[in-house]
Amino acid sequence: MRLDYYFRETATGLRRNGIVAFGAVSTSFIALFLFGLALLIYRELNLVIFNVTENVEVAVYLKDGPDHSDPPQDTVVRLTGKLASLPAVASVTYQSKDEAYERFKELFAGKPVFTENVSPDAIPASLRVHLTDTGLFDQIKAALDCNDQQQPNGSTKLVCTEPGVDTIADFSTLLEQLTQITRLLSLGVLSIAIVMLFSAIVLIANTLRMGMFARRREIGIMRLVGATNWRIRIPFLIEGMVESLVGAGLAVLALFVLKVTVIDGLSGQIRFFPFVRNSDVLAVAPWMLLASVFVAIVAGTIGIRRFLDV
Amino acid sequence: MISLQHVTKVYRNGVTALTDVSVEIEKGEFVFVVGPSGSGKSTLIRLLLKEEEPSKGDVFIAGKHLNKYSTWKVPHLRRNIGTVFQDYKLLTDKTVFENVAFALEVIGKQKIVIDQRVPEVLDYVGLGEKLNSYPDELSGGEQQRVSIARACVNRPLVLLADEPTGNLDPSTSVDIMRLLDKVNRIGTTVVMATHDQAIVDAMRKRVVELEKGQVVRDQARGVYS
Repeated sequence: MRLDYYFRETATGLRRNGIVAFGAVSTSFIALFLFGLALLIYRELNLVIFNVTENVEVAVYLKDGPDHSDPPQDTVVRLTGKLASLPAVASVTYQSKDEAYERFKELFAGKPVFTENVSPDAIPASLRVHLTDTGLFDQIKAALDCNDQQQPNGSTKLVCTEPGVDTIADFSTLLEQLTQITRLLSLGVLSIAIVMLFSAIVLIANTLRMGMFARRREIGIMRLVGATNWRIRIPFLIEGMVESLVGAGLAVLALFVLKVTVIDGLSGQIRFFPFVRNSDVLAVAPWMLLASVFVAIVAGTIGIRRFLDV
Repeated sequence: MISLQHVTKVYRNGVTALTDVSVEIEKGEFVFVVGPSGSGKSTLIRLLLKEEEPSKGDVFIAGKHLNKYSTWKVPHLRRNIGTVFQDYKLLTDKTVFENVAFALEVIGKQKIVIDQRVPEVLDYVGLGEKLNSYPDELSGGEQQRVSIARACVNRPLVLLADEPTGNLDPSTSVDIMRLLDKVNRIGTTVVMATHDQAIVDAMRKRVVELEKGQVVRDQARGVYS
């Protein structure tokens, strides 16, 4: 087997098939770009969910100890035990004031307006509660004896009579809604991507077929002199792979450009909102390449069937 | 070397090309298959290349029983059989050297082997000076020489020629026949389908005559009719 033979044949095929190959590359580019975009949107929304709720359905904010210190150990232990014994609760974790502040800094990294003006003292310690099922917030409310109370500024706040508890917050509805939006958006983009991937398969298969048709005389001679079917097919398979991979490469590049121009521009304007980073684009890229290899293999299998009957 | 035993070929459209044909060809023989158009000459050649399957009967070539030869191995069979056609079947965008080298490339021969054998065989067919010409720049006779060089470069046991002189004038045809005779003299079995009467009469080789798909004559040192 000689590699240079295959690459020479592939290059000839691509050159002769120029415009058709260009069509295949652009379709695979669009398909893979949308596919990557769907993955990025999914990541973005997960990022938002995590930042807003930390994937925790209920937060029980604790009253500070004396002089803005962490709440006393025995209060934490007592409340943790009490919450953990509820059937609605799956798990409880404690987040100290320091940990909460660390997270706050992380969340608003690069936004000095927040990090410089909020001191660790202002952020409360909390118990983060996972529920066994959403909508069980009322059980927590009852257990900690919390009631809505009108605030002087007109809003309402849950005030709890349970000692050591300041207030509680329910993220379960929000979490559910966000998860649904995530699912819907990424499903939408993903289904467009799948349709596009399908057309990429068809177009690349067609390109290969046209290439084989254009070279059927040559293929006939190859068969005459004893070339095996694979010897004839492989240059076409490489051709499809090249077209698909070039499309994928361009798509990754375009996602980076999109991220740098649009997202980075937005994150300059919208201050306290998490955005995908370059590393997210990098994390998505292998999946796009994988999808393009899949496209090439399916297209190759369909495209090269004909013209090879002995 | 070649054996057809009671071979009948009926094409899918109902046309009967060969009826109960039996021919034995020994190693190193030179055989003309003659007959008018539609007598089954080309079908016989196609059966030997396993381009077609016989409807009845058995086909053996180079020790292989083609009826039982699996399809995926056919390329390997063809490496032992050289083929020459009326229309040369050369690649017009490749030079003479590349056309002949192509036959070695597609069966995975090393470059070093190709660089040695191709000039050798082109020299042998008398085209040693035309390595870098393109087929369009050659005469019909020269193009047929290239195609013979390509058929022989892999040192096949059998050379099948289907009307190799069909497009050539009489004197060029004689040159091509001299070349095929030369190939035959080094031990290659040559089977040539033709209706070129002058050539058959001049060569005085074994003649198998087909008519309407049947062998009507099989004569050593024969003439056309």
